[in-house]
This record gives sequence, C-alpha cells and structure tokens, in this order.
Amino acid sequence: MSTVRSRSILCSSIPVRSLGVLAAIAIVAAALAFLVHDKFYLHVLIMMLFYATASSAWNIVGGYAGQLSLGHAAFFGIGAYTSTLLFKDLGFSPWVGMLIGATLAAVVAGAIGYPSFRLRGPFFTLVTIAFAEVLRIVTLYAHDLTQGSMGISVPFRPALRNFVFRGLSNYAYVALAFMVITVLVSLWIENSRLGYYLAALREDEDAAHALGINTTRYKLVAVLVSAFFTAMAGTFYAQYIFFIEPFAIFSLDFSVLLAMMAIIGGIGTVWGPVAGAFLVAPLQEVLRAKLGGELEGLHLVVYGAVLIVVVILLPQGIVPSIAACWKRAFGQREPRPASLKDTAAQGGK
Amino acid sequence: MGVILAQVMVSGILLGGVYALISVGLTLIFGVLRVINFAHGEFLMIAMYASFWLFRLYGLDPYVSILLVVAFLFLVGLATEFLVIRPILNASASMQIAATVGLSILLQNLALVTMTANYRSVETRLSRAVVSVGPLMVGVSRLVAFLVALAITGILFLFLQRSYLGKAIRCTAQDRQAALLMGINTERVYLLTFAIGSALVGVAGALLTPLYPVFPTVGTYFVLAAFVVVVLGGLGNLTGALLGGFIIGLVEAFSGFYVPELKEAVYFVVFIIVLLIRPTGIFGVVGAEEVGLK
Repeated sequence: MSTVRSRSILCSSIPVRSLGVLAAIAIVAAALAFLVHDKFYLHVLIMMLFYATASSAWNIVGGYAGQLSLGHAAFFGIGAYTSTLLFKDLGFSPWVGMLIGATLAAVVAGAIGYPSFRLRGPFFTLVTIAFAEVLRIVTLYAHDLTQGSMGISVPFRPALRNFVFRGLSNYAYVALAFMVITVLVSLWIENSRLGYYLAALREDEDAAHALGINTTRYKLVAVLVSAFFTAMAGTFYAQYIFFIEPFAIFSLDFSVLLAMMAIIGGIGTVWGPVAGAFLVAPLQEVLRAKLGGELEGLHLVVYGAVLIVVVILLPQGIVPSIAACWKRAFGQREPRPASLKDTAAQGGK
Repeated sequence: MGVILAQVMVSGILLGGVYALISVGLTLIFGVLRVINFAHGEFLMIAMYASFWLFRLYGLDPYVSILLVVAFLFLVGLATEFLVIRPILNASASMQIAATVGLSILLQNLALVTMTANYRSVETRLSRAVVSVGPLMVGVSRLVAFLVALAITGILFLFLQRSYLGKAIRCTAQDRQAALLMGINTERVYLLTFAIGSALVGVAGALLTPLYPVFPTVGTYFVLAAFVVVVLGGLGNLTGALLGGFIIGLVEAFSGFYVPELKEAVYFVVFIIVLLIRPTGIFGVVGAEEVGLK
C-alpha cells in the first residue's frame, strides 16, 4: 500500500481507510456540536477535540521522532501569549496572531531543539522541562508586557475576525477543524518518507545514522511541525477560556498531560493521541465538575495510576493493543508490512 | 558590602548541602539502574510528611524521628522498585520516564487528596536558632543539614568503596552483564540501590522539615534543582552531586541576591547551557549521555 517510491520526503500516500475513519469522527463530532445544547457536554466535546489536537501535535516529536518532550507547554504558551498580546495591544486578528505565534514557536523550537537533539533519553526531557520553566519565569518577570501573574483577559468582542464566538458550538467546529488538520498532518507524516526516517531513528538512532539518514535534520522537521500546531492549540485555548496566566499556561502538568494522552492511546501512532484525548479529557472534565474542590486532585491520582499500568502492561498503548486483538480474533491479513514498532516491541520483550 | 556577600555565600553553601543530599540519592539510582526517578521529589515530600506527623502526633523531634523516616523511605523504595521500576528496566527511555512521571503525579495528588494543599510546618527549638560566627549569622538547622549531608555522602562513599554490597553496586553500574557473569545478583542490587537512594532522600526530608513547610508539591520545588545538580555533577557521580549541589546553591543564593525574581530562571539557564555544552556534566564521563542510556 504505502510503499515509498518517490524520492521526495514530501510525497505521501495516505490509506483511504484512515481518511474514512477521520471523516467518520469529524461527522460524529460535528453532529454532536450541532445537536447538543447542554453547555457542560459541549465543553467536554470541545476539550476532547482540543486535547486531541494538542496531543497529536506533541506526538509528532514525542511519538514519531521518539523525543520525549515534557516542555510543550512552552510552545503552547508562545502561541497563547503571542496571539493574545497582538490582539489586545495592537488589534491584530487572533487568526493572524495565531499564525505569527505558531511561526514564532516553530522558530524557538528549532533554536532550542537543534542543539539539544544530540542529548538522548532523560537528558533531552530535562532540557525541555527546564526550557518551559524558564519561559514561565520570564513571563512572570516581564509583567510590563505580560501582566505577570495577574494574567491577561482576552476581550470579549464576538466576531469571526476576532476568533470570539457567542455559541459554544462554534468553538467546537473550530476545535474540530484544528483536530482534522493535525490528524491529516500526522497521517501525511506517517505515510511519507519522513515518517519512515523518523521511525528508523526512533528505533535505533545509531543504525539510522549509519544508513545515511540525517537524523538531526528530520528530528528538527518534526519539532518544527509539532511546535507549530501546539502553538495553534495555545491560541485556541486563549480564545476559548478568555484568560491566560503563566502558571496555568506554562505548566509542567499540561506538558505531561499531552504526553500521557499519547502514551495511553498509543505513542507514535495517528490514532493513539486522539483515542487518549477522547478517553482522558472527558474523565478529567467530569471528575473535576463532580468532585470539584472537595477531592481536588483525585482525577490526577487516577491518571497517574492509569499511566503506570499502561506503561507496564500495554507499553504500546491502547489503540495498537486493540488492533492486535482485532487482528488475532479475525485473522485478517494486513497488506501492509509489519511496522518497525511491532517488531521492536516483540524483540524487546 | 563584603560582609553581606560573605553572608550570601554562606547561605548558598548551606543551601547547596541540602541540594546535594537530595541529589546524591537521585544520582546513585541513575548510576546503577539507568533510570531517572521523576518521583524522587515526591519521596522527599513523603519523608517530610512522615517527619511532620511524627512530630505532630508523638512529639518526636525531626532529628530524633529521622531513623524512623529513613527506615520508612527505605521500605517505600523497596516497594517502588519491585512494583514500578523492575517491570520497566528494559523498556525504552520514554516509557521509563512516563512510568516515573506517572508515579510522581499519583503520589503528589494522593498527598493533595489526603493531606490537603495546606502548608504545614514544624517548629522546634532549633528551627529558628542562629549562631553567629564573627559577623556572619548561621541558622542551626541549616548547619545541621549541611553537616549531615557531608557526613552521609562520606559514609556512602566509604560504603561503596569498601563493603561487599558497595562493590557489587559499583560493579553493576559499570557493566550489568559482566556483573551478572561474576555471580552478582543484579536484581537484588537494583532493589537495594533504589531503596538506599530513597532512604537518602528520607534523610534529606527529615532534615528539611524544621526548615521548610511541607505541602503536596514541595517535591517539585526541590527536585527540579536536584535534576540540575545531578546533571551538572555528571549523572551517576556522587562527588559530582556534592559539588554540583554547592554550585547550584551558590548560584541560587547570588542570583537571589542580585535578581530575586529571576532566581530560578538563572539556574535553569545554567542547566541548559551545561547540558548543551557539556551534557556529561562537569565531572561526568564523556559520552555517558549518549551511551549510558541504552
């Protein structure tokens, strides 16, 4: 199916079945956004789509390239702050601000990613954590520009141009569009030469390098794309919540959450982050609303436990495990050759 | 001015002792198991809560209850290694990080649910006591923490150099396969190393209780500094952790004096620069960051 004949890394043949799955998800989500009027359930739907976008974006560098970043809050924050400041102080449309913020995030990601890619495993992760922390502290410090810990409120002026809407369902449509774009990008990467390079360097960086893959260049491409879409999610968050402040935006917990959703669903797969977000986000919102202040943090206790159990028992995540069960149960022969991931998982056990 | 700077320096060195004590356990565990325990800060939090409750319920001074706290943390370490770390020892670095981060989230929020977010502190006769050395003022609790940090690192060093178990631990750190071939029960070495590393953070927690309030996220505050320290000193390097602790303590004290609002940013920037220029740390073995983590 997806043999790689073309010489360009940009060429990609996305399987029709995957596009069908995406279309089905989009139709169901759009129908729900149209039919559901309850504010809370709409909010849950929006959060599911929002986290699916952000986690898919994280997955491009965290999953496909195998560079476990726990600093994506940095790119998220750059997106949120850039569009909000440009909107509030200079009157730029947040749509424009979003693209500027996303570009800025990609540039910053390249600047921090390029030198840190020679670090492996925990060392890379530690740099990403430190980087997000520095941005948070600097944002707090530069209170003339960012209003520090006071935070910034996004002015409520409903208009398409202002990325501000009256009805929640409009936000759901926008979030859905963002998710569809991010998933399409993931599908495109997975089925392109770039995706194969990334899979190779994730499984064995030295071997990939020895085979002539410029590992640094492709990791760089992955982090640029990942930061770009994470920043877009940041703008969406600011426009939807109407308030941003450094502790919520540049939080380690947010970075961990994105990684966690992808890992639970299936790291390095297209549908893993989506499934992870669809499972975890409703759990988070419902537990938060139901338990509220009384048992604050209980949902995080559950997350932590689930994350440990998934890592130990289903290290590939839920989606690949279900797919494997399905294959075993129905004996369907996959036309595609076994992915590197499957063989690695079998060999590693 | 000279006196003030000397005072800043002294407080930096004393703070460094505390950082060193937290970092020694982290670096020991990494050196042997090749796993960074992201829940290390939560172990510190557990130790501080244990120390707090022993004081509150039984009136035990943290310096007395330290033995109980250390024993408790040793058990916590044993349990954690057995339940969480052992199954992922051969997993990829990403999965190892994910599991210990999961443990960190779990413990932190378990503390939030059971202990609430309130700050709790222990007031002992010594916690506010100050001795003056010439023109300089030195907090007694800080001095104790500093001296114990030095002593513990010394004892640990001797233990690793002289005892049979210590030699087995060093041997396993150098080469897992060879250690196994020499008849060392590496599984038990992992178990005990993890427990010893956890007991060390137990010491740190008990010594910190008279100095700092305890709350569910207290671990994050200290452990980020500890990560900086261990990387600076070279992961797996005990003397490096000790010296790295002093360096970060001094950096924090001086940046706190000159640019108080950016205090934490300064040591993170130092951290990023060190990682990018010399990722093995100042005292680490060159190449460890690329080879050692397979």
